Amino acid sequence: MSIGEMNFFQRMVYIIQEYSGSLLKGAATTMAIAIVCTFFGCVIGFAVGLLQTTEPHKGSGPLKRGLLKAVKVVLTAYVEVFRGTPMMLQAAFIFYGMSQLFGINLGMWSAAFIIVSVNTGAYMAETVRGGILSVDPGQSEGARAIGMTHFQTMVNIILPQALRNIMPQIGNNLIINIKDTCVLSIIGTVELFFTFRSISGALYMYFEAATVTMAIYFILTFVCSRILRAVENRMDGPADFNLATTDTLAFTSGMTRYDAQKGGTH
Amino acid sequence: MDEILKIEHLVKTFGTNEVLRDIDFSVSKGDVISIIGSSGSGKSTLLRCINLLEDATGGHILFHGEDILGGDVNEDSYRTKVGMVFQSFNLFANLNVLDNCMIGQVKVLKRDKEEARATALEYLAKVGMAQYIEAKPRQLSGGQKQRVAIARALVMNPEVLLFDEPTSALDPEMVGEVLDVMKDLAASGMTMLVVTHEMAFARDVSNRVIFMSDGRIEEDGDPATVFSSPKSERTRDFLSRFNS
Ligand SMILES: Nc1ncnc2c1ncn2[C@@H]1O[C@H](COP(=O)(O)OP(=O)(O)OP(=O)(O)O)[C@@H](O)[C@H]1O
Ligand SMILES: [Mg+2]
Repeated sequence: MSIGEMNFFQRMVYIIQEYSGSLLKGAATTMAIAIVCTFFGCVIGFAVGLLQTTEPHKGSGPLKRGLLKAVKVVLTAYVEVFRGTPMMLQAAFIFYGMSQLFGINLGMWSAAFIIVSVNTGAYMAETVRGGILSVDPGQSEGARAIGMTHFQTMVNIILPQALRNIMPQIGNNLIINIKDTCVLSIIGTVELFFTFRSISGALYMYFEAATVTMAIYFILTFVCSRILRAVENRMDGPADFNLATTDTLAFTSGMTRYDAQKGGTH
Repeated sequence: MDEILKIEHLVKTFGTNEVLRDIDFSVSKGDVISIIGSSGSGKSTLLRCINLLEDATGGHILFHGEDILGGDVNEDSYRTKVGMVFQSFNLFANLNVLDNCMIGQVKVLKRDKEEARATALEYLAKVGMAQYIEAKPRQLSGGQKQRVAIARALVMNPEVLLFDEPTSALDPEMVGEVLDVMKDLAASGMTMLVVTHEMAFARDVSNRVIFMSDGRIEEDGDPATVFSSPKSERTRDFLSRFNS
């Protein structure tokens, strides 16, 4: 059967059969960029969000205060610029700017990772800032009252709760990144959208290729959002708790890590 | 007697609002001092200044004779010796009851985990919460939360424990269980500074009552004297509102 005689479904099957390799490779590239960049975006976001919510220590001199202030201004500029311009242009700006101004050829992969991470970081910074502020300040006072330092309080008390609070936004960012890596096709990154364009260009089957690619994008984002939901539920821990019995208490004041026997009927 | 804290000429202003004006008193080992007074008189601010949660504007706070407002005192290690229990509990929401009572010991006092666990269990048993070690704060009632918060402060082996209206956020039926824990503590010789509206506690449990009004100490004496023959007009006014 020639391509001309195929119906819509047969053409889709044809695309999948002929191009499964490049589609999978494109999907893998897209996922790799999205996952790695969401991760580094979170790291950047936590660093920036933490700095932006840091108040100068009351004992610190004008130099330290000035420095903190300057750092905050720079970070705010970063956040505003990268949230306020299209990622596609950022990609072109960084990729071509680096080679034209500094003669640095970033290479497709490093350019892709840098651009998406830095872009995600700008969004995450605001999210993290909100997440930190959403943890009630009483807990910080509770921690200070038992002598914990600001750093210990942040790491052990505030950030874990901020992280939990912003998990939905992190998931959102991952999904946005899965879709938005398509703008990297402007610098030649062979991800899923780039693959779609090659296939549709080669076969002149735009509708079929679009359908197949959309289905792949949807599967990727849907699976990710389910996984993240499961992670959130895990972070919440069990909805109920077991009362410790006198036996387990006597046991635990000894040498082993406390591990309550989970309720069971056998 | 063994003097632990001495507050001298303590002043605190918020902007132009003079909240504490020349506060003077001292706390000796084993004292159970109730601080009473109407809303806005500066009781919380006083405790927060003593715990360094607020910076005093002027005056001195001497801890065993050493001025902790002097600047070269390690604030964090001072705070471990002066514990605080808050009206709103302020438990760590991400940690279970046991970890709430272990984290300070492990991170601040650098106790090893086994010792910290044993100490936590000991004090949780004292406040009747040992069974709940696996629970998260959100799974507890107000009274239970406050008892855990008291245990969290006690595990640090503080020399003084500050309480800021520990029962004010509780439903009436839970006030008793927290007050009982505090009575036991007082009986065991713990040095306590308690801001409270529970006049029965102030009268029956404490050995000294301080009445604050408008940022000043208006009355400072043993409960019998303060309650039956107060010196100042304001104290009489305040107390009459409770007796009616
Ligand atoms: N952070 C703050 N900034 C500005 N003013 C404050 C601050 N904290 C307290 N104040 C003011 O200080 C005064 C005393 O407050 P404080 O909380 O110490 O009173 P209180 O005696 O504990 O009252 P209550 O019985 O209602 O708890 C009030 O006028 C209050 O408005
Ligand atoms: Mg108060």
